[in-house]
Amino acid sequence: MSIASQLHDLVRNGIRRIGEIEILTGLHDHAYVLCHYLDAERAADEGFGGLAVHTGAADARALSIHAADGSFRFIKAQVNLKRGWVLVLTDDEELRLALDHFYPAAVGLELARRKGVLEVEHLRDKLNRQTGMYRYARTISDEGAQQLVEQVCGPAHNCARRILWQLDADTPLEDNEASRYNGIVGDLGESHAIPLLCREACNHFVAECRKAAKREFDAKQARQEADG
Amino acid sequence: MPIAPKPHSALLIVGHGSTENPDSSNPYFDHADEIRRRGLFAEVHCCFWKEEPSMREALYMIDSPDVYVVPDFISEGYFTQEVIPRELRLNGPSTSVEGKTLHYCLPVGVHPSMTGLILRRAREVAPEVDPSQATLVITGHGTGLNQNSTKAIRDQVDQIIASGAGYAHVTDAYMEEAPFIAEWDRLSATPTVIVVPFFIADGLHSYQDIPVLLGIETETGPAASQREVFRHNPHHLRDKTLYYSSAIGAERLIADVILDQVRDFDLAHRSAAAV
Repeated sequence: MSIASQLHDLVRNGIRRIGEIEILTGLHDHAYVLCHYLDAERAADEGFGGLAVHTGAADARALSIHAADGSFRFIKAQVNLKRGWVLVLTDDEELRLALDHFYPAAVGLELARRKGVLEVEHLRDKLNRQTGMYRYARTISDEGAQQLVEQVCGPAHNCARRILWQLDADTPLEDNEASRYNGIVGDLGESHAIPLLCREACNHFVAECRKAAKREFDAKQARQEADG
Repeated sequence: MPIAPKPHSALLIVGHGSTENPDSSNPYFDHADEIRRRGLFAEVHCCFWKEEPSMREALYMIDSPDVYVVPDFISEGYFTQEVIPRELRLNGPSTSVEGKTLHYCLPVGVHPSMTGLILRRAREVAPEVDPSQATLVITGHGTGLNQNSTKAIRDQVDQIIASGAGYAHVTDAYMEEAPFIAEWDRLSATPTVIVVPFFIADGLHSYQDIPVLLGIETETGPAASQREVFRHNPHHLRDKTLYYSSAIGAERLIADVILDQVRDFDLAHRSAAAV
């Protein structure tokens, strides 16, 4: 069964949100209409409530590039999707393509998780395979990595993903708001939303590990020099 | 030769992407849209090193058991020989990964048809220039990480010279290794110089860094979508007339080169029945 067909079934069985996107069905005779979840009530009004009307999956990319303040959303799970629009889609395949623009691979990751075939990569494995300028990231301490999760990840730091990885197979993340977050924006249960999943640390996190590892090294050097 | 439809295969275009420049990934999506419109593959996707989806996540987007992976990169080098094989767990031309067979094609930049695109871009940016009175400079990044990364550009220089395009002089130049693009005036024997950036996207390098090295700009500016650098040709500086084009990879016809690489992969690695 294709990803588009499985997505169709999920929506028919009650799924209506992914990230900040609300999936509306049967609205004004369109197969699917997407909008920011905070605009959902307005979109249901006559003429989509005056929201700007876009059509076709390709527009999903344009809508997802910049936040309202103009900043570049290079992490698509950032909780700063623009409001004020609806996206009209004609069929299941367009819905799949549009959602892959808004939240790349998120539908496929959730389907894999439901089937028990999602492969999670722990942080040490991710860092240990880095080469080039990011090779140094692997030297970060466990304590430094745990702190970074709290300082970089989760909704407090503008990321709506549910972290599935650990430091390594034997070392879970410490309990905090970021590690606890369920990947669902707004007050909805799992039966109504596809969670955004973080199956391995993103490149932004790896870059932060590199910086933190450098700070740890510099601090150690300074201590050794101070000790004589 | 046009490629035969592959209704049971997916095409996965791999790009670099950027966490700083929103324009960087535009060409990849444009190329994907163009190929998707032609209906040649069951599905067409993009994935990135610096943006999302990552290479490992991309496989979760794909239904088809058969996947052609085309690096939308300009050369064989660090990314195509180390990063992409590592991230997609490739161990040869065709690799079985998580129930799919991934066919790893050569990067677009090394295909012989790129020569025609460079010449076309040079003519477009300087239509009034007589090639016999001009130097054509193909410029790229250059890196100490992989010695192959400049080979694609050197090959293009050789092919342009052999093509009889008629330029007085054709040379390569790089940001981070000799011959340096910052010395473009000393590399060029003629008063007229055309510089074509051999990059996929008009990102930080072609739009911001190289204009500074050329002397067109005094400091790096905003992203390409916010500026009009290429409309100010020609530039008169260092006693030369300089034409600077946008990146070669932004060319719409790169979609054809991607398909050329799929066809060449089949010819080199798959049986006639599969082609």
